[in-house]
Amino acid sequence: MKILDFLKPAAVTANLESTNKKDAIEELVDLLVKSDDIKSAKKKDVVRSVLEREGLGSTGIGQGVAIPHSKSPLIKDLVGAFAISKKGINFESLDGKPAHIFFLLLASSDTTGPHLKALARISRLLKDKYFRDALIQAKTDKEVYEIIAREDKTRD
Amino acid sequence: MNIEKKIIIKSKQGLHARPAALFVQIANKFESDISVKKGKQLVNGKSIMGILMLAAEQGSVVILKVSGRDANEAMNELEKILSGDLDKPF
Repeated sequence: MKILDFLKPAAVTANLESTNKKDAIEELVDLLVKSDDIKSAKKKDVVRSVLEREGLGSTGIGQGVAIPHSKSPLIKDLVGAFAISKKGINFESLDGKPAHIFFLLLASSDTTGPHLKALARISRLLKDKYFRDALIQAKTDKEVYEIIAREDKTRD
Repeated sequence: MNIEKKIIIKSKQGLHARPAALFVQIANKFESDISVKKGKQLVNGKSIMGILMLAAEQGSVVILKVSGRDANEAMNELEKILSGDLDKPF
């Protein structure tokens, strides 16, 4: 599975404006409304499901990365949104450090495979410090998307 | 001490983010080196991104490798996580 299979250019931002976890999740879900991946009428419920999942344990996995996600009957196909926060947000991450890189992932509640494969793909790429640094330094949404696209195409 | 065990992931949801986080938190309590292998892929058991890279679904076989002074204890605790019901709230 490739990241570009579930991430559209319109669902990417180089400048997440939120300064706290809840707002950040809302802003990420907004990106998916903007990219036409979810209907705006569903937004509230989707945000709630992601926050519920966060309540079970933070998806701030450390090294500045957070992968908020949820599986929901509201979602048919796997969709993702990606954001960079230059300032960083307290995401109650496991290593206690602020998160700068956010990958929101929404999957259908009927399946487990695509969700696990997407998490694996995101992890494989974001494990690379140079890739993470390049993303954080990118100035425009387009630049962020291009960095992801290049890495996604060249990596196994 | 070096120990290896083959474990089948039984949980329906597979080794998803929550159990991966729990696994890594426990793994980091130990001094031993911990790694997990699935197929040809060998990852550091103390890194969440490593564990998530395995995309271990229900029915997949993983090999848990532990080496170090506290290997026995580490194996006992970590094996329980991998072979248990990963969907129950911990």
